[in-house]
Amino acid sequence: MRNRKLALGAVALVIAAAAVVLALGTSPGKAKSTAAFKAAWIYVGPHNDGGWSQAHEAGRQYVQKMLGSKVQTTYKENIAVGAQFSQTVASLVAQGYKLIFATSYGYITPAIVAKYPQVDFEQATGTYTAKNVAEYFGSAEDTIYLSGMAAGAAAKCNTIGFVVAYPIPEVIRHTNAFALGAQATHPGVKVKIVWTNSWYDPAKEKKAAQSLVSAGACVLGQNVDSPATGEYAQSQHIPWVGYDSDSSSFAPKSWLTGSVYNWGPYYLKRVKAAMNGTWKPGFYYGSINDGFTKLAKYGPGVSAATKKLIASKQKAIENGSFYEFSGPLYDQSGKLRVAKGSKMQVLKGGTNSLYGMNWLVKGVIGSPKG
Amino acid sequence: MRFTVERRLQQPRWLVVAVPLASVLFGFVVAGVVLLATGHNPLSSYRQLFDAAFVSAGSLDQTLIAATPLAFTGLAAAVAFRMRVFNIGAEGQLYVGSLTGAAAGLYFGGRGGASPWVIALMIVAGCAGGAAWASIAGVLRAFFGTSEILTSLMLNYVAGYLLTYLIFQSESYWRQTKGFNATVFPTGKPLPRNAEWPAWMLHTQGGIALPLGAGLAVATAIVLWVLYRRTRFGFEVQVLGDSLGAARYAGVRTRRKILAVMAISGAVAGLGGVSQVGDFAHSVDGDPNGLQKQAYGYSGIVVAALARYNPFAVILVAFLLGGLDNAGNTLQGADFPSGLVGVIQGIILFSTLGGELLVRHRVRVVRTPPVVEEPA
Amino acid sequence: MNHTLLITLIASGVAYGTPLLFGSLGELLAERSGVLNLGVEGMMLVGAVMGFWTEQRVHAGAVVSLVVAVLVAALGGAAMASIHAFLVITLRASQIVSGLALTIFAGAAGLSSYLGNDLNLSDIPASHSFHAVFPSSMQRWPILGPIVFGQTPLVFVSWLCVIAIAYYLTRTRLGLNVRAVGESPGAADAMGISVTRYRYAHTIAGGAFAGVAGATFTLALTPQWVSGITGGAGWIAIALVIFAFWRPELCLVGAYFFGALQALAPELQARDISLGPTELWTSAMPYAATIVVLVLVSWRGAARRLGAPAALGTPYVREQA
Repeated sequence: MRNRKLALGAVALVIAAAAVVLALGTSPGKAKSTAAFKAAWIYVGPHNDGGWSQAHEAGRQYVQKMLGSKVQTTYKENIAVGAQFSQTVASLVAQGYKLIFATSYGYITPAIVAKYPQVDFEQATGTYTAKNVAEYFGSAEDTIYLSGMAAGAAAKCNTIGFVVAYPIPEVIRHTNAFALGAQATHPGVKVKIVWTNSWYDPAKEKKAAQSLVSAGACVLGQNVDSPATGEYAQSQHIPWVGYDSDSSSFAPKSWLTGSVYNWGPYYLKRVKAAMNGTWKPGFYYGSINDGFTKLAKYGPGVSAATKKLIASKQKAIENGSFYEFSGPLYDQSGKLRVAKGSKMQVLKGGTNSLYGMNWLVKGVIGSPKG
Repeated sequence: MRFTVERRLQQPRWLVVAVPLASVLFGFVVAGVVLLATGHNPLSSYRQLFDAAFVSAGSLDQTLIAATPLAFTGLAAAVAFRMRVFNIGAEGQLYVGSLTGAAAGLYFGGRGGASPWVIALMIVAGCAGGAAWASIAGVLRAFFGTSEILTSLMLNYVAGYLLTYLIFQSESYWRQTKGFNATVFPTGKPLPRNAEWPAWMLHTQGGIALPLGAGLAVATAIVLWVLYRRTRFGFEVQVLGDSLGAARYAGVRTRRKILAVMAISGAVAGLGGVSQVGDFAHSVDGDPNGLQKQAYGYSGIVVAALARYNPFAVILVAFLLGGLDNAGNTLQGADFPSGLVGVIQGIILFSTLGGELLVRHRVRVVRTPPVVEEPA
Repeated sequence: MNHTLLITLIASGVAYGTPLLFGSLGELLAERSGVLNLGVEGMMLVGAVMGFWTEQRVHAGAVVSLVVAVLVAALGGAAMASIHAFLVITLRASQIVSGLALTIFAGAAGLSSYLGNDLNLSDIPASHSFHAVFPSSMQRWPILGPIVFGQTPLVFVSWLCVIAIAYYLTRTRLGLNVRAVGESPGAADAMGISVTRYRYAHTIAGGAFAGVAGATFTLALTPQWVSGITGGAGWIAIALVIFAFWRPELCLVGAYFFGALQALAPELQARDISLGPTELWTSAMPYAATIVVLVLVSWRGAARRLGAPAALGTPYVREQA
């Protein structure tokens, strides 16, 4: 027993000794305070995942490049929701970070943000706003609709396969937009979905793609983050529509196009606002018009006629004369969900809003419950 | 020349102090070389580490948040490993404890019970859930001789998938189904106010709050120490741990002991789970990117081993490793790759683990005697 | 392309079971010599990153670069295993704790992630990857086409490994010695077998197999690198060894069964078949099935006879007079 107690003392001593050594070894003063404004980004996955987090990382680098030495930015990757997030925030605040972008749903809780009233928070894809919390996201569905048009035009059969992540309104909304776009260029086409229950899992995504092809799909699309679907599509010589970022290099022959995010301009605006004290909470919903979302460059499989069709549709979306989520919209069972003449809104309308949508449009095959 | 390793009959007191000290320092030195080789200043990195773990404002608070679950899972592992029952299922038992504990909190809290009663019932339910989940492996070991190392490991995965299923893929009792936000993203149903666990401000300015769970962990350590040191049950368990044969000879009922030890171990892990819900999350965390990514159950085994299965040492090691864990988040970032954090943590663990040998054994350099070939 | 569900499942089972097979063969070697290594996931991830890096950097044609890549992956896994071997064999540390520490050191938040980032391997397509080698006319044969001829060379290599390890453990002097070391190190030592040497060799060889298992992901299944690409396959490989009663030929059956299970959820969805909470039971099944098998085996008191090495998990200390 005595030995064990001593062992405890020993470990404590080590820490104390090491702390002293370190205190002596490094400069005694606190870290030199620089004039640079400090902003941090928190990612749920690796910063270079080739998908969601990487798109945000590109935004951070854009901010750093545009503002140079006036800002000091950093990121924290693979941060779990819950305890790890609160630890990360605490350490960032202690280091003097004044603006924190939490790039995934579930990070921000009222308790955490209330603890640091002097710090401003922004959360992607969420709905919680407070005095020091803003939310941001955007209408990727517009560009996903356009990418769906490319998929529909390329389909030589009547089934398109779509690999999807979690059965939540964000993904359901994107799936619906994709299906509506495909039906616009290929009337009556079915969009078959397979859930992977993961945002990023190359092996699962490939398996999902494989099972969709074996169930008769002749074009593939996705609302997951890795390029595994594309690699499989290329091995089967069928066209593919990507998502998140331009990953045409993984399957150049199959690549049609894809909806990609451009977070940089928003981040720059917000960091600048926080720097000059004009930052305000709010709910930002970006669009094609302000450059938040766009269509990646076309691959060889998109015909000139399709490109023209997509371009004119994009014009219509930009000038507001077309919106994919305006009635009449029918669900899978054929029930009218959105009446003719009415448009879906982002937050208002319960399950008939963009953030609450829990039903799939007519022509999608699969369950909206996963 | 070669080395021989002999078991020490007596462990000199100074060694028990010096070895862990030296091996942790050795670990930091080796990790320092790795840091240097990868272009980072070890001294300033370490300083940042210690600052973030124990010194800077709010750091102790966060270290406590990391240390509390580690203390529970460490105690759970220590209790079982001490008896050579290798329960590596604290991870799953923690999930199940969080589910049963949350259920009690939602149910009794929702009926408007007084807070202390609701919390007491949550604790009981959490322990019961963890104990029940651990007992699956316990029963299989006691009655079928099935290795608990493997069954408890497998059950972790089953519990993890179950947890995700209940929040993400079904409309279970634990899932929040009311309100617009609940449709945007699946979340657990929040506990009513009277089911949230209190915390005591230790240092108002520094913002250090001692969560109820941390206090419970210390209390659990004391209870376990008394149980193992001062009761007949504890004595028999220790005999069993030292030698199965001797225990049988002494008339110890091994089956019952295995069952009891697994259940106690699971109950402690389950308590860790309900502390997650009551102290911190205030709802069941079924997100695969949440509680399950923390792997508290596995880290608990490391805590227990470094503490040599002593309950009080577990508390201390949990606190130190909790600090290391917390500080890891500070270190990583744009100019410090997160992979390096795991490398440093791994090196320190390896080093501490390896040092154990020197406490228990004597290493001597001997000249190889000429080998005499005996005719076969 | 339209096969029946069963054929598709078997074909996917073979493809996705191959990394599990390599990983479990390696763990089997280590465990047969009495060393439990819970660090499989970490060793696999190091193999995955080393293999992908080599394939990107060796400019010598597909065959050479892929073969070299697999060998380097094996080396990477072996290097990781040698840390574990040193700690548990020479320093007699707890095998469970050392294995977990190895996972932290090498895993998705450790060395493998550091290497991949430092070598700039993310977000680039593979320049070469393993493909089916048989002519596409053969791949279109019924049944055998998708199951056998549609597979990559790594699958055939894994079959050779199964045969070689089965032969080694049952028919060779060395193999019988390994089993003695795992069953009764004291007796083996008395017979003049070096317990230490055998355990080192098999733990390290086990690491090499785990490295190849990781490379199966980055060079064949999903030819790219991202942190944590094996997605927990290492843990399934550990389960598999028990599921297979520590026998290589049963590892193959088990690996394909677990591989097929992983493909079941998407297959059912794509065919619009609903069988309750599919995601839950297909994901949990490999683990639940392993428990059931474990119980059945130990119930009949046959665990020993069926292969569980008696000295698994315990360090060997020669008693000195």
